[in-house]
Amino acid sequence: MVQFLQACLDGLLIGALYALIGMGLALIFGVMRIVNFAHGAFLMVGMYASWVLFDKFKINPYWGFVPAGLLLFAFGYLVYKALIQPIRARSDFMQILMTTGIALILVDTAQLTFGADYHQTNLALVNSTKHLGPFTLNAASLLSFAIAAALIVGLQQFVVRSRTGQALRAIAQNPNVAPLMGINLTRIQGFSFALGIALAGIAGGLLLPALYLFPTVGEDYTLKAFVIVVLGGMGSIEGAAIGGLVLGVAESITSLYLGNQWALAVDFVLFLLVLSLKPSGIFGRQRA
Amino acid sequence: MVVFGLCALLLPVFVNNNYLMQVFFRIVLFAALGLAWNLVGGYAGQLSLGHVAFFGVGAYGLAICAAHGVPKWIAFVLAPLFATLFAAIIGKIAFRLRGPYFTLSTIASAEVLRLAAANWPLAGGAIGLSAPVLFSLGSFWKSFYYSAVVLAIVAFMVNLWTSRSRFGYYLLAIREDEDTASAVGIDTANYKLRALLLSAFLTALGGALYASAFQYIVPDSALTIEISVQIAIITMLGGAGTLIGPIVGAVLLLGAQELFKTKFQESHLLIYGILIVVVVLFLPEGLVGGFEHRSRGKKQPAQAAAAQGGR
Amino acid sequence: MSAILELKGVSKRFGGLTAVKNVSFTLNQGEILFIIGPNGAGKTTVFNLISGFFHPDEGAIVLNGRNISRLPPQDTARLGIGRTFQIVKPLASLTVLENVMLGAFMHTSSLRQAQEEAEKILDFLQMRQIEKSQARGLPLAMLKRLEIARALATKPKLILLDEVVSGLTTSEALALAELVRRLPEWGVSVVGGVEHVMQVVMKIADRVVVLDYGAKIAEGLPAEVVKNPAVIEAYLGAKYKELAR
Repeated sequence: MVQFLQACLDGLLIGALYALIGMGLALIFGVMRIVNFAHGAFLMVGMYASWVLFDKFKINPYWGFVPAGLLLFAFGYLVYKALIQPIRARSDFMQILMTTGIALILVDTAQLTFGADYHQTNLALVNSTKHLGPFTLNAASLLSFAIAAALIVGLQQFVVRSRTGQALRAIAQNPNVAPLMGINLTRIQGFSFALGIALAGIAGGLLLPALYLFPTVGEDYTLKAFVIVVLGGMGSIEGAAIGGLVLGVAESITSLYLGNQWALAVDFVLFLLVLSLKPSGIFGRQRA
Repeated sequence: MVVFGLCALLLPVFVNNNYLMQVFFRIVLFAALGLAWNLVGGYAGQLSLGHVAFFGVGAYGLAICAAHGVPKWIAFVLAPLFATLFAAIIGKIAFRLRGPYFTLSTIASAEVLRLAAANWPLAGGAIGLSAPVLFSLGSFWKSFYYSAVVLAIVAFMVNLWTSRSRFGYYLLAIREDEDTASAVGIDTANYKLRALLLSAFLTALGGALYASAFQYIVPDSALTIEISVQIAIITMLGGAGTLIGPIVGAVLLLGAQELFKTKFQESHLLIYGILIVVVVLFLPEGLVGGFEHRSRGKKQPAQAAAAQGGR
Repeated sequence: MSAILELKGVSKRFGGLTAVKNVSFTLNQGEILFIIGPNGAGKTTVFNLISGFFHPDEGAIVLNGRNISRLPPQDTARLGIGRTFQIVKPLASLTVLENVMLGAFMHTSSLRQAQEEAEKILDFLQMRQIEKSQARGLPLAMLKRLEIARALATKPKLILLDEVVSGLTTSEALALAELVRRLPEWGVSVVGGVEHVMQVVMKIADRVVVLDYGAKIAEGLPAEVVKNPAVIEAYLGAKYKELAR
């Protein structure tokens, strides 16, 4: 029983990071219906950015994620303007293809720049643990959880309280209505995309201490991100947060009972299950 | 097309290099795969990025059946049938989804297969399986080359028949507007499924051929998403929905890959990526498609430029 | 005259909004019936219900004695309900001829036969000269005719024309109306939906049904309906003058 709860706890800790990734995609896909197959690749870019800051400038990733995030924000905005905006009106088909192409470019550029070798930060924090009753919690995971949780709450407040945030939600519900409410659609969409990418990058930065870094590290995360968005209900940013936590716990429990290699399979199974049974997601409303 | 066919048939007469023959085998095989994908991605307009699943079932089907004593030619026919069955199941789920969810589910199903193959002893796990050699008449690679040509011709014929039949028109209608298609009585789910089954069968034949030619398969060679992407790019680059587009795409893309082998190999993904971006931005109908599109548009009425209103 | 289509107490809700409220009417063989009403009255929803894109929450839709309320669009099409869409949906990369052939394919799988059928229909709608043009880029008047041609090719028993003349100039609208008036010659009864091009309605409608906020408020001959105070009130405003004529 303790093992089960331990797995749940571990799942929650990683789940917060997943939530960040999912919320980023929810912003992009949910709000803008842009199919971003490059989401994981941007996460990878964020990881490398944090790595460079760590390796060259000795900045700890737990601070470094901030400049990394800002960098990714700017980068995301540029990508949007140059490559995504021109094809906004085209079919989903084209957008998927375009973002797939972008992903390939990002991954291979990383490989050419940094080589295919694995990199690793060797922070002491990663190896220390804290004890909470019968449970063991990795200190690094705790820290990233704390940061992620703070960001999630901050993001949620932003979306609910600020004018921009409300504009985002308005567009998610009904893009046609937005211009009528005086919302500058193009600027908001660019902002939304950039923010979504930044979130992916930040998640990457926070993941850096815990993982090995290599060019294709982001691959699995694109699918995870879509699973989370689907779980949470399209366009629901809060839903994505919960979805992230759910996925984290599901993976953790699967790892416990079936072994690590099946953890990834759980992503797909969940994905196909949700799409077959309740396409509108746990928190979604029926969308035409 | 006749020109292509003749070139393809005569090629082995002039080429005596085994390695080159292997290259040509791959080019023609991928042309066939592209033609098969064209039915679903080109005519029906459904972006499947999971076609490697059928390829893999074909490859693994052959290997597993053979490993259990099934005569190799029976296995060769059986494997694509398994793939078609798999396609029927996946299609039922996937086609209920629109747009990106459809594509994601195709990717997901292919990845599930890859994980299954990598973790399942029956499929050899990460170590892989060996596959029987189907034939060796004279030169090994020349005979496999011819088999690929035969497959490509079959796939081409299927495309040809489709483009001139009611089936093909129905697929086009589904691609353009599914509501309009329903309004003229087309059972869209049914027709999409038919296209998928046909496509899956052909793709699986290609997979079985591949397995036999290289005699050994692992999940990362026969079930990797890179193959799905490559098939899609070939067809899109050449022109999805056209007859010779996939062939042109295969020749160009794989040909270029070979020509720039050293440079390309390190950064071939980068080139792919740039190619996709360029095609999407500037050439959404592919090389052949763009050409067709422009020549069709010549007969526009003079008032075409007039205001359309109401739209 | 026998009834080919009946709506019996049909209602449809979307969340909190009742788009169609207890609507009943009948379409007789060979008739041209028009449903009129201000914007939002529920006309398009009624068309979507009849053709199967939506299903009624209450009531029934009966075609030649058969309840079709729960059938999907492809089945209602096969049973003889043709429809055009308010926002035209041509199959853009196909030619005019190919668009119409799509409809003809419902009854034949031969390309040649479908082509012959399509050409006959294009003759009737006076579109032969553009049959080889791509649908994309055609002017609206032609696109509207294309919608009708494609639906006609399915040899329907009745055809739903949703705002078929909206967006056209008066002369284009009247020309198209003349063609619509001749549809019963092809054995096709007509249900048209119109918001405000009343001249057309007056000219060719046999009967009119008036909807307002989802409910039927009047039914009868065009001349009668137009004088109905409830109808005039529903259309109060700029429309008033046109109707009072």
